[in-house]
Amino acid sequence: MKWENVRLFALNFWHNATTPKTFYLLHLIFILLTVYATVSGIQKNVTQNDIRKTHQTKARESWEANPDKHPHRMAHFGTYAFRVSPSLGIFDYGLESFTGNTVFLEAHRQNSVNFSEATFSTGTLRFGELSLALLLQLVLPLILFFIGFSSVAADRQNGTLKIVLSQGASWKEILFGKSLGLFAICMLFFIPILLTVIIASLVLENQVASNLHWLRMLLITLGYLSFLFIVCTLTIVVSATSSSSKNALLRLLGIWLLLVVLLPKSAQAMGNYWFPTPTKLAFQSAIEKEEIQKGDSHNPDDPYYNNLRDSVLTVHNVSKITDLPFNYSGFVMREGEKNTSALYKKHHARLINIYKSQNNVTRFSSFFNPFTAIRQLSMTMAGTDFASYIDFQHQADNYRYQLSQTMNELQMKYISPKKESGSEGKTHIVGHEHWEEFEDFNHEPLAFNVSIKETLPALISIVLWTLFAFGLLLFTSKKAKAI
Amino acid sequence: MITYKLFLQQCIRSKEVWISLLLITLLGIISLVIGSKHLVRQQEAIAEIKTYQQQHFDRQASLHNEDLGLLLYYTKFAYVNNLNPLAGISIGQGDVNPTVKRISIKTFEAQKFDTDLVNPMNLQSGNLDLSFVIIYLFPLLVIVLTFNALSEETETGTWRLVAIQTKSKLGFLISKLLIRLALLYIVLIFLFCIAKFMLNIPINDSFLSILGLSMLYVIFWFTLSFFVISFKKSSGFNALLLLSIWLILIILLPAGINAYISSKYPVPEALSTAIAQRDGYHTKWDTEKLPTIKKFYSHYPQFKKYGYPTDGFNWLWYYAMQQMGDDDSKNQREALSKKIKLRERTSKQIASVIPNMQLQLAFNLLAGTSMSQHMEYLQGTEGFHEELRLFFYPKIFEKQQADTIDWHRFKPKYYEAKTDINPFKSMIPLLLASGVMILISIPLTRKL
Repeated sequence: MKWENVRLFALNFWHNATTPKTFYLLHLIFILLTVYATVSGIQKNVTQNDIRKTHQTKARESWEANPDKHPHRMAHFGTYAFRVSPSLGIFDYGLESFTGNTVFLEAHRQNSVNFSEATFSTGTLRFGELSLALLLQLVLPLILFFIGFSSVAADRQNGTLKIVLSQGASWKEILFGKSLGLFAICMLFFIPILLTVIIASLVLENQVASNLHWLRMLLITLGYLSFLFIVCTLTIVVSATSSSSKNALLRLLGIWLLLVVLLPKSAQAMGNYWFPTPTKLAFQSAIEKEEIQKGDSHNPDDPYYNNLRDSVLTVHNVSKITDLPFNYSGFVMREGEKNTSALYKKHHARLINIYKSQNNVTRFSSFFNPFTAIRQLSMTMAGTDFASYIDFQHQADNYRYQLSQTMNELQMKYISPKKESGSEGKTHIVGHEHWEEFEDFNHEPLAFNVSIKETLPALISIVLWTLFAFGLLLFTSKKAKAI
Repeated sequence: MITYKLFLQQCIRSKEVWISLLLITLLGIISLVIGSKHLVRQQEAIAEIKTYQQQHFDRQASLHNEDLGLLLYYTKFAYVNNLNPLAGISIGQGDVNPTVKRISIKTFEAQKFDTDLVNPMNLQSGNLDLSFVIIYLFPLLVIVLTFNALSEETETGTWRLVAIQTKSKLGFLISKLLIRLALLYIVLIFLFCIAKFMLNIPINDSFLSILGLSMLYVIFWFTLSFFVISFKKSSGFNALLLLSIWLILIILLPAGINAYISSKYPVPEALSTAIAQRDGYHTKWDTEKLPTIKKFYSHYPQFKKYGYPTDGFNWLWYYAMQQMGDDDSKNQREALSKKIKLRERTSKQIASVIPNMQLQLAFNLLAGTSMSQHMEYLQGTEGFHEELRLFFYPKIFEKQQADTIDWHRFKPKYYEAKTDINPFKSMIPLLLASGVMILISIPLTRKL
């Protein structure tokens, strides 16, 4: 294979593709879409984060404005955790519109994360949202198909191919050259998007950055470059193996429909079918059942809590709980919270595992489908994926646990042991300076090493697909026929 | 008749036609399996709540017989959004919105938007239901069947033969298209027959409207294709143009519109309401009891006879505080519902000029899985909540014992979604677009 010839074919491809006026029209439309997607992406990210930050401050202000009161009242006053959208969310929305962003954190109760975009949208949201990632994953491959479908097939139809081959060019040179040419054209579409994301990242530096933003960005860039290379070689190979340009186009469109629309949708549907999500009631009542078995702190005759009381009394060598050196009701609530939280965590982990099993069908289908691979890689690196959402839930729930245990400890320490139960009134109270001492919730973006672990199947499959694409070019160059 | 038979033979001679017809039938059946699975899960959830609710009441009543106020602090009542079997055809928002809500008589706003257990990945990938097959895939089939109806004749050289032998060239083309339309209608009706038996759908207006709208939608794509092929361009050009139209109408435009709506109309009101209802209730623990109770009585003057107990903890004051969570967040709540309506209106207005979005919304409305119907269900839940309050408040304030109440009468309550849309109204844009395209195409085909 002579590099000189490869270059020639690449240049020739470039020249042929960029001559017709329709190419410029297509490019213009794509750039306009890029601008539109960038503007709406930035606007959405910035306003959403502003809204959430203002409300986080608002919720905090009213928390701190509480006067001296019984700590258990504060545990129920609770606070809100607002999910922050990662900075790369302007590029890839991922699950952003389908995950809740607000959760109320209080003692004893694990509330649901509410107010996702989808709850306030009509059914048309399921048509998808225009983002830069969508342009790269869905629209650009189609454009490449349109530009490249006839590249070899047309040469065969009009007989140019025979002449070229008889003049000493090899199939390898033709296929590599044309693939490179198409890839170069593809850069005309890709680089503007890359630049906008880089510029937006620099301008929006004051926003919450993802963990290791630039490294994520680099992986996204490499991922898309490989993906686009795969698409380019695929186009050329299909064109080389089709009898006519029309057939090549129809095949490529069939592939697009299968890999972009049908397979991903069926993969997720299969996951959902095989690993059914329990109903909310089944989930909650399973926890409730185990709670009752373990001990119900709300039941005055509960054996577990009666035993606990007796042993505490024995240890401190007193006969009444009001003689203990600490507030007993705070102590019981601390134990109760510990038990129920552990139970909830156990059941929640099970639920998350069901979700993960559902998603794994999609995750591992990336070995059959490069389009799924890039989708997974892109949203995981952008931090808008499932793992980031679950991480937010964990952070919020851990904060909730800290909050209620801190309040229980304040109660044990500062509320008189004589106050057996109840939290009403102005006598048994704790100073309000303690409210400020308890730090506000702060949503940390998911650590890079977790994301990279999450995206490993997609990453490996992209690498494999790239190698496969090279192999396919070599294989086709041996098998291809001139007529 | 003979000509039609020949047309049919010509059409189904090609392998691609068979494969694509089989494929869409298969996908249609898969989509119905998915739809029926969705229905079964919802029905299971409803059955579960029936058995659970009784046990739940029995347990709470035995634990807190003496203390009705505390009992109602824990007790939750189910309000069920009764399932329309058509939801199996168009799942719509039925996956993100809960079908069963369990509410206590405490602050309603704190419970209103609680979500079900959902995997966001499932939501994002969307449902592969029959509505998806009809809206996304049938147009593709129309394109595959028709893009070369005319150009294949010119490209294979048979057109001149036809032109001199047939009485009307337009009639020839239309008959050719009608055969293909009939084939698609057979598949469509076959799928709806399976849907009827698989999902146990009664044959009613809504079901027939969905079928009618689908048939009209297929006609719309046929006229579009007719319009494109009447320009007598090559097969390749027709395919490219028709697929680009498909891409723009079904992927790009809706995606662009969604991005517009979500960035243009964010919903900060939801978060403000959440904070307002919390503060409305919780800050009352720190203020004097009398103003809270007075405020409560100005909402419910009929309870004034229960007096103004301000010593220590009492349930009248407690539920008065809970009531304040709802009453004090009224402004934010109204702003929220206004914003939701605005979003919906905008979305509907834009969708009305894009047939596929329009059709999706119409399907969801007919199947009871639209956003507006869910909001109505939430309003129904609020009404149910109010009923419960009015029933229990006097009993709590009179310190009645739990066993004086017949708990068995509190079965889960069912809500029926209203589907009073006029299907003909949603057909108008489709009909109009089809009509215009036919009117433009006919003069073009005269010159064939």
